Amino acid sequence: MSTVALITRVPIGPRLVRAEILKLVTRRGLMITSLLLTLDATIGTFAILTILHDTDPAHHKLIGGLQHFDDGMYSLTQLATIAAMLIGATGGAGDLAGGFFRNLVATGRPRASLFAARIPGGLSVLLPITAVSYAIAAALSPVAHGSQRTPSTALLIEAGLWFELYITAMFLLALGLASLLGSRATTLGILAGLQLLITPVVQGLHNPGLGAEAVLGIALWRLAPHQILNGAPSGHIGISLAAAISVITAWLLLALGLGAWRTTTRDA
Amino acid sequence: MSARAETSARGQPAQATDHDGRDLSTNNADGRDVITNANVVETDALTKRFGDTTVVSNVELRVPRGTAFGYLGPNGAGKTTLIRMLLGLITPTGGRMKLLGLPVPAKRRQALARVGAIVDEPRFHAHMSGRQNLWALAAARELEAHARIDAALERVGLRERADDRVAKYSMGMRQRLGIAACLIADPQLLILDEPMNGLDPAGMFELRGLIRSLVAEGRTVVLSSHLLDEVEKTCDAIAIVDRGTVVLQGRVDELIAESAAILRLECSDPSRAAVLLRLRNDVARVDEEGEALVVQLVGGDPREATAHLVRVLLAAGFDLYRLEPEHGSLEQRFLEITSRLGEAA
Repeated sequence: MSTVALITRVPIGPRLVRAEILKLVTRRGLMITSLLLTLDATIGTFAILTILHDTDPAHHKLIGGLQHFDDGMYSLTQLATIAAMLIGATGGAGDLAGGFFRNLVATGRPRASLFAARIPGGLSVLLPITAVSYAIAAALSPVAHGSQRTPSTALLIEAGLWFELYITAMFLLALGLASLLGSRATTLGILAGLQLLITPVVQGLHNPGLGAEAVLGIALWRLAPHQILNGAPSGHIGISLAAAISVITAWLLLALGLGAWRTTTRDA
Repeated sequence: MSARAETSARGQPAQATDHDGRDLSTNNADGRDVITNANVVETDALTKRFGDTTVVSNVELRVPRGTAFGYLGPNGAGKTTLIRMLLGLITPTGGRMKLLGLPVPAKRRQALARVGAIVDEPRFHAHMSGRQNLWALAAARELEAHARIDAALERVGLRERADDRVAKYSMGMRQRLGIAACLIADPQLLILDEPMNGLDPAGMFELRGLIRSLVAEGRTVVLSSHLLDEVEKTCDAIAIVDRGTVVLQGRVDELIAESAAILRLECSDPSRAAVLLRLRNDVARVDEEGEALVVQLVGGDPREATAHLVRVLLAAGFDLYRLEPEHGSLEQRFLEITSRLGEAA
């Protein structure tokens, strides 16, 4: 039974959520890109490391070990963030762009429930992909490590949870913003600026000053296990755990709140 | 397939229930049975303004149950805006409205559970198949809506292409998919906004038959259009809207009968006869078409007016070769009304 047939025929979960899943998984371009950014990137990275080690073992270590896990986590987080933004922006603005939102509103179903269904629908597509990607990276680290230190089981679990939290936050941010703006392209442009320009610049500053703590990406890195801080801010950003959680919560509430408000008030 | 869906497939509208299966026939505020309500659409002083522009102005609309109802008007008359207000897609600036006897927006969810609509043009996710689009829409409706998908596709003639991506559909196929999307609600009321757009003559003929068959099942179809000929062939009753205001509504046959009598006559020296007729108070207009004169009479009894006109021509020495009444049409009536409005403006 195909994925689409499974979604439409087997009674799993609320129907509106399954409809959201259906709309996402039938977008071949989106799914291929997301898989390339997550699963294939993980497999490809380790394949290259394996080839390098086989051809020049003196300079290239085995693919496992803590160092490679740390490096891999950083690149996987960055690439999976793009996938999360793509899926979030598509989930938030897809119905509007296609003119399908009007059809849904005309059924009489409350707009708030149409918006709410986008969240579990998108996460049901995104999280399995990223979880498998992480699982591959995590599984290889303790296996082929040679003389290197290996990540502990506790670290693997902690890092995995943090990774999924990071991806979920980026997805929700994109979903809320896309629902607010009604445009996938504009949403991706804004988020690319935030994530690929502003956050790295602030991270790279030695003394970023007040306000740097309010950047979502920095607050999220504050929650990362200290052994995988390869991608964390290099400066002295003093932010407490409570402050980081508050910043993340505020960002997500703001994005989702604005998205829900616009969905319920916009002309269809 | 559920019992309700089987009933639907046989072509009878199911009992009215909302998304949660609640019976709508008795749950409106004043306890009246909405199924037997005489009008499926009622608006009072419905108004919509965008900034300083009034697009819909104090519309008083009554759509009788079990009819094909044409909502006629030129482009930009406010037809789609009124439909969007009825469906809750935009908020009215003022006035009241009822769908299936239920006040909206207060009972919007219950009312729309038994309404199927195409607004502007049918839009779907192009990357999904027709069937998948219907499935996604059915997910927003009652559980039984899924069981109606196959029957709906069959009825609009799309079953063979149901699993093709909508991106590959022609405009006509999208229109038919739009109607299938309406049918999965097992609607008491269908609102179709310019459904003839993009259809070839054969497609229009098929759609006309489909609409009449839906009406024969006891459903009501509201058809917004500017194609007068199609509306006349399809609809039982109409409302004519111009510049946001309903200027006339009633049964099509009655409205046509009320239109001014027109005579086509052939006589000797038609140019001189035309000059004579234009001087008369009981003649509204005279057009020369080759050797013939097309004479539009002013109100009153057309039989009496015709006899009088013949007497006048014969008395003036004209030979009368041929005289025949022309049947009124909706187009003629529409032009009479809209030109009158133009003169008034």
